[in-house]
Amino acid sequence: METGPNSLPPPLLRRCKVSAVLRALRRRPSRIAGVVIILLFVFMAVAGPWFYPDRLPYDADNIYAPISWEHPLSTDFEGVDVLALVVTGTRGVMLVAVAAGLVTMVVGTAIGLYAGYRRGRPDSVLMRIADFVLTIPGFPLLIVLTVTIGLGAWWKMALVLGLTGWGGLARAVRSQTLSLRERGFIEAARGLGLPTRHIVTRELLPNVAPYIATNLLVAVTAYIYAQVGLYFLGVLPLDTSNWGVMLNAAVFQSGALISPDALPYLLAPLGAILLLTLGVVLIVDALEEIFNPRLRGS
Amino acid sequence: MIEGRGITKAFKQVQALRGVDFVIPRGGAVSFIGESGCGKTTLGRILAGLESHDEGRLLRDGEPIKDFRPIQLIHQDPYSALNPTRTIAQILRDPLRLRGHPFSKAEELLSLVGLDPSYVLSRYPHQLSGGMRQRVVIARALTVDPEVLVADEAVSMIDVSLRLGILALLRNLRETLGVSVLFITHDVATARYVGAEGELYVIYRGTVVERGPVDTVLAGPVHPYTQCLLSAIPVLHGLEVPGPDRLVPDEPLDERVEPSGCLFEPRCPFATPACAQEQPLLSRLGDTPQDHACLFPARRHVVAVPAR
Amino acid sequence: MNMGVTIAGLTVTYGDLPAVKDVSLRLEDGTITGLVGESGSGKSTLALSLLGHGNIASGSVFIDGVGDMSKMDKGALRAVRGAKIGYVFQAAQNSLNPLLTVGKQLLDLAKSHGVRDVRGAHPLLRRMGLDPDRVLNSYQHELSGGMRQRVGIMFALVLNAHVLVLDEPTTALDMITQANILQIVREVHADRGLTTLIVTHDVGVVAEVASRVAVMYGGRIVECGSTKEVLANPRHPYTRGLINAIPRLTGPVDVAKPLPGTPPTLGTIPAVGCVFRARCPIRMDVCSAQEPEMIDDVACHAVGVTAK
Repeated sequence: METGPNSLPPPLLRRCKVSAVLRALRRRPSRIAGVVIILLFVFMAVAGPWFYPDRLPYDADNIYAPISWEHPLSTDFEGVDVLALVVTGTRGVMLVAVAAGLVTMVVGTAIGLYAGYRRGRPDSVLMRIADFVLTIPGFPLLIVLTVTIGLGAWWKMALVLGLTGWGGLARAVRSQTLSLRERGFIEAARGLGLPTRHIVTRELLPNVAPYIATNLLVAVTAYIYAQVGLYFLGVLPLDTSNWGVMLNAAVFQSGALISPDALPYLLAPLGAILLLTLGVVLIVDALEEIFNPRLRGS
Repeated sequence: MIEGRGITKAFKQVQALRGVDFVIPRGGAVSFIGESGCGKTTLGRILAGLESHDEGRLLRDGEPIKDFRPIQLIHQDPYSALNPTRTIAQILRDPLRLRGHPFSKAEELLSLVGLDPSYVLSRYPHQLSGGMRQRVVIARALTVDPEVLVADEAVSMIDVSLRLGILALLRNLRETLGVSVLFITHDVATARYVGAEGELYVIYRGTVVERGPVDTVLAGPVHPYTQCLLSAIPVLHGLEVPGPDRLVPDEPLDERVEPSGCLFEPRCPFATPACAQEQPLLSRLGDTPQDHACLFPARRHVVAVPAR
Repeated sequence: MNMGVTIAGLTVTYGDLPAVKDVSLRLEDGTITGLVGESGSGKSTLALSLLGHGNIASGSVFIDGVGDMSKMDKGALRAVRGAKIGYVFQAAQNSLNPLLTVGKQLLDLAKSHGVRDVRGAHPLLRRMGLDPDRVLNSYQHELSGGMRQRVGIMFALVLNAHVLVLDEPTTALDMITQANILQIVREVHADRGLTTLIVTHDVGVVAEVASRVAVMYGGRIVECGSTKEVLANPRHPYTRGLINAIPRLTGPVDVAKPLPGTPPTLGTIPAVGCVFRARCPIRMDVCSAQEPEMIDDVACHAVGVTAK
């Protein structure tokens, strides 16, 4: 009977996914930092608005206040605390970005897997559509749509962002599926008579997962930029709390580009966006390890 | 019994198979040997239902084959044949469930292929050696109670000291389960180990040029191509002495040339003008003990014989 | 000009782990030495040390007329590689740049060594049975596996190297092409009076071309000697097991016996005692306590005992 080499490292028995994730994160401190950042923003999005009243208190005597314990990020042109604005603005930004990301993930993954697995005509038709979606100048289209049909509702915006952004993911998933398809284990699954549903969900999907996750996170950051950009340009109604609204007000109302007093008001939302992007970048590098048992190792 | 009749297959310009007949008896061993590109792998994939063929018929006990599940392919590469994201238990569970077998059968099968279920089941493929992986691949093929295992270069990527173990396993499965083995290789010695009494098919450019029991062909090959192929096997100097009639083809293979007569004529050291005219068919011309496709068959001793 | 190679007490590490440990080996001027081992035996690491590659922790690789490769700085190593030592890498069939013709790559190689005249490539290619003009104007995909391997040998020798290292030169080639390549290696070796090291997992390849053989296991050389002698009369239990595990073309099939167990990987090589003991049929108590010394070309406690 062929058993393993006698001095193998302690048996790597069935490990649950959670511990695999934890170990992948612990391997590099930067990944932990990424997770902490993302969790912070998730917390702000979920719980942030609970800490503040619906209408944030303003203090007309204290506009562009110097940085202090009371106003760690200064105040805006009405004397509203900038930190409060950043925190309450998180939910809108994250909600749209995550919802749009989910749309992208579902559409891109489904189309990529189907095209890559079926090949032939469905593949060429779907990939022409994907190429078309990829070539759509997303941001100008958004501006046009905003003006014509209005994208004030978060779900409309998420839908438009998600439906114009799946091209890259679909292409990545498809090319990965095409190469996996030639691997012996997919052929073996077909030879064993396992149903297509099994082959796609159990054999293909787990192997494509790291690509999906990576592409998704990158797409989510792009959606944050797009959305903030729309508010900044003022094509969306500014009656909501969003980092883009802050940027718009900072630049066009407070003249933050020329007036140093208003600078914190401009830098705070920018910093929030950069920090969130950084968090995403830091955890992207752990994804491959989380999904690939070979890299999980000890 | 699995049978193929007149199987042809073309890939774009290249004629991969030009009408091949073969028979795989139940529990028997059949070997296809030939150079890379001769069509032996394509034939195995067609038989396993992974590739279509242009003409000809595949029969199982006389009936056309519709369900290819009883014919399981053992891939050359045990590293890509197992899904890296699934444990061995998961890999075996689904095909077993499909056949309505209880999961306990997984342990039974793993023991049968010489693995310790308690060690293997919870592991991922990358935690196993190449030899162990190939055993898992064989166990997985057995989950669907196959009639034929098609082993395509099944040991070429496995460490030398572990190869014979896999070959012995294939041979044992023939005896214990009555599974037939179609062994596709360029290494005749491994084919002989799996079934010395089985039929050996020597394939050249998509046709069978010689066919007979392994030991009969080895002892007295009559087709010059078979003789060249067997002459090329390294001689274990010190243990063996080379056969007296060792042969080298005149030319390297040029697939762009489509001879009108015998396909091997351009490379054959014994080619005659007649060979360029007529395409010989598989027969026992010249009263040979095996079938061959040569107009001028002659037994030659090309295989190395033990020293001493 | 003849150049032998002397490897003395060489240890090459990956991280903390020795892939090659305390290896001594002499490649005599003008001989072909075969280095046999399975995956993870350290054979490729040892071969690469001839180029001064790898993290050489201790010991030396002395090439006559060139110097100690383990002590040279980067510039000196670059000058020596290619010019004095020709290396045909594993999977040389796939190591050509697919975007450049062979001729262009040849010119690049020459330029990097400050050589103007590469006309030596023509007779070399012709000697290997290739049409130089056609080959030099070809891209990788226009050449067959055997042709690419020969192009690899041309690259290794075109700058007049006198030490030639071939890493798995015939893996993935079929039998006839393999025999052809081995014939070419023999001829080129004799023509140019080279010192050749051929690294392979295949005992047959060594038996065909090498006059001397060194057997590696777990980063150690466990046995060496004249090829015929070692094949006819293997003394180390691993060598014996390896040769016994080769299926034969004639005689009783069951002469071949599988070798039990699995070869160790870098992480599982035992730190103390004999590296082969886990698979050894004649293991003794001393084997787990103490590493056997190389005595009379064999590193085995049991052999030492019976000899005395």
